[in-house]
Amino acid sequence: MVFAVTCVLMGTAACGSSGTTSSAGSAPVTGGTLRYATAVEPECLDPEVAARDVDALVDRNIFDSLVSYLPDGTFHPWLAERWTVSPDKLTYTFTLRPGVTFQDGTPLNAAAVKATLDHAVDPKAKSYYAASLIGAYARSTVVDDRTVKVRLSRPNAPFLQALSTAYLGIQSPRSIKEDSAGLCQRPVGSGPFSFVSWTKNTRITLKRNPAYRWGPATAGHTGPARLDGIVFTFVPEDSVRVGALSSGQVDAISDVPANSVKQLRRTSQMLTAQAPGAVYTVLLNSRSGPLADEKVRVALQRSLDLDKLVRSVYFGEYQRAWSVLSPSTADYDPATVGSWKYDPALSNRLLDQAGWTRRDSAGYRTKDGKRLILRWPYASALMRDQREILGEGIQAEAKLVGIDIQFSSEDPGTLNTALSTGTGLDLFAMSFVRAEPDILRYFFASNQGVAKGGANLFNLADPKLDSWFIAATSTSNSAIRRNDFAEIQQYLNTHALALPTYVPTYLLGASKKLHAVTFEAQAYPLFYDAWLSR
Amino acid sequence: MSWGWLLRRLLLAFIVVIGSATAAFCALYLLPGDPVRAMLGPTGQTPQIIAQVRHETGFDRPVLPRYGLFLARLLRGDLGRSYQLNEPVSTVIGSQIWSTVEVALTGFLLALLLAVLIAVITAARRPVLREFASTVELVLASIPGFWIGVLLLTFFSFRWHLFPAVGGAGLSALVLPAATLALTLVGVFAQVLREGMERALEEPFVLSSRARGVGETTVRVRHALRHALIPMVTLSGWVVGALLSGAVIIETIFSRPGLGRVLVTAVDTRDLPVITGVVVLSAVVFSVVSIATDVLYRIVDPRLKENRS
Repeated sequence: MVFAVTCVLMGTAACGSSGTTSSAGSAPVTGGTLRYATAVEPECLDPEVAARDVDALVDRNIFDSLVSYLPDGTFHPWLAERWTVSPDKLTYTFTLRPGVTFQDGTPLNAAAVKATLDHAVDPKAKSYYAASLIGAYARSTVVDDRTVKVRLSRPNAPFLQALSTAYLGIQSPRSIKEDSAGLCQRPVGSGPFSFVSWTKNTRITLKRNPAYRWGPATAGHTGPARLDGIVFTFVPEDSVRVGALSSGQVDAISDVPANSVKQLRRTSQMLTAQAPGAVYTVLLNSRSGPLADEKVRVALQRSLDLDKLVRSVYFGEYQRAWSVLSPSTADYDPATVGSWKYDPALSNRLLDQAGWTRRDSAGYRTKDGKRLILRWPYASALMRDQREILGEGIQAEAKLVGIDIQFSSEDPGTLNTALSTGTGLDLFAMSFVRAEPDILRYFFASNQGVAKGGANLFNLADPKLDSWFIAATSTSNSAIRRNDFAEIQQYLNTHALALPTYVPTYLLGASKKLHAVTFEAQAYPLFYDAWLSR
Repeated sequence: MSWGWLLRRLLLAFIVVIGSATAAFCALYLLPGDPVRAMLGPTGQTPQIIAQVRHETGFDRPVLPRYGLFLARLLRGDLGRSYQLNEPVSTVIGSQIWSTVEVALTGFLLALLLAVLIAVITAARRPVLREFASTVELVLASIPGFWIGVLLLTFFSFRWHLFPAVGGAGLSALVLPAATLALTLVGVFAQVLREGMERALEEPFVLSSRARGVGETTVRVRHALRHALIPMVTLSGWVVGALLSGAVIIETIFSRPGLGRVLVTAVDTRDLPVITGVVVLSAVVFSVVSIATDVLYRIVDPRLKENRS
């Protein structure tokens, strides 16, 4: 049924004319409202409480951050004009830009920054994600109106990067104080667009903040935004989003399904950005079960023809991954490319060596009468990007060498219980957007177990990995740091502790009238510079 | 209509509502996995946060006192607060219900109108016409609403630009969703109506009307249709169910606000108060419709009144 629908839609959009991509050379025009359709709706627009991509996408327009971060790993002034870090890396002193006001007229000062950071770690605010981003935060001190000192409890290399995200956007202190129950519904920041209204399950409307003249140093222009406003609508159905764009009912859409990209290119433009952080990675339980044997892990790794699989599932729109770290992340190691090629013969040899020599009637390998079963639970509610199909592809490839992957949908409650205890499963897959190589520590350092708020699902405790993590977080020498992270990426592949699959990519479809949309380091589109030609 | 009868029906309705609320409570209780962990999602689950949320949502108490509290609140009309949206459930439902009612009522009336037309025209007519109509109805009744919706959107919105697919408001935004709902219902409606009409047209009173020289249209519309409506009234329970489940699909395809979207999100995030709120509301609607049906029966079919009293 779904296939039939897709064909019908393809027929419709194919009647448009083909053309070249947008004329970036012409002069920007002020005016017009951007109509942007996203697949999911934000849950909460309090940036510190929000945790999802779509929350950040909307919040980024309403809120400014202290600093701006580029994918090359460099930081630039934004609300903070300059900053210093103490030699012990525990105290950050920010000097704020003068003349900034929030959309409710409150001036930006040191107390406002303190109010936001304190709000982020306040248990009553339920700001779990923002709090985890700045887990080392101890307190802020107002030095004078324009100077704020932030004290950390331990050195935390990604602290500035965390501050640069929309999740730590600076809120109006008046709104935090007087409207604590309404922060989700009525956000007030200092950003280029101010919040107008939110009709649940329908749309969020923003309008230009005419006073804005404190854009980040990394933006393409200064002064107020060029668009009069932005209307975000929420269109969960993929085919409807695509149809709405190709028929001109919206100017841009998020989450273009990979199988519609080719068709959309004829009438619209495709803007893409590879998400930084951890690619969609299958994590292997090396602590118990069959995967405790490295031979079995490597056998599984080499049994997968990921080039073919990723190309057929994603129509060539997503790149196949070689490292857990996405290529758009700082300290990504290009030497990983081609380092663990598809080699089913090797897989078979390794499985024989590991003692999985017999085959049962279904063709799966057995040892001592027990079948080689790997349990891989998932929750369909958390799946996107046709990850179920990719999972089934991996299952089919592994079957060819005699591994029985039991890829099964579980309800979120059962799954989360299994994940938090690390039992009852051999494989689990996830991706994580974070413009920092430190994401590797979140997944693989021994002190990042799920009970401690990390994502080290299988409580991996590898002294070698740990020593590289400690070295990488405590050095300020970027070459040493780069080398440590390269070692980690290669080690994960060599010992098959994780299987990188494909690089998640933000696929934004846009009308050819939309210009100057850029992507921030976390691969979310930015609309401050954007403009619509008439 | 006696007051005793109405009182009995109201009591029964009350039991149905409490029963379905209890069933919803039990179903959610029996779901495998820890609800608090499901609410929090896969990351950021430190023991402190889990303990805090467990306390706030009352999940640190045993199940029986929790059920007692749930019932006591329900009897006071308090549906609780949504875990995820941080708003009272009555506000969540109240802000979304009218959009669902709007599309459900419009779709229902449209389907009824079409079905009456089809039945009046095709009942007991030449086999070719009758069979053709019957086939179309069967096809419509079997096509999933999702597919009808996307098909309508493709032609009437994406290709011919007649109606908005997203972001529309007012009447033009209502046309396609209501039409989709109507098309999913009209097949069944028309089949039931025609069968009823054909049975009615064989009754002696039709023969006597015809003998008195009453025209064919008048016979069909004034005499047979009324009889044909009786089995339709019986269908009302099914209709309410179809409208509610249809709303889930239609609101997703047409990106409309409404109870369907609220319910889908709530199930995804295990927002128990919202789920039970929607279940209780559905039970109330079913009960009200069922009472209204019985009242309607007596109006449409005076024979029932005479038999009882």
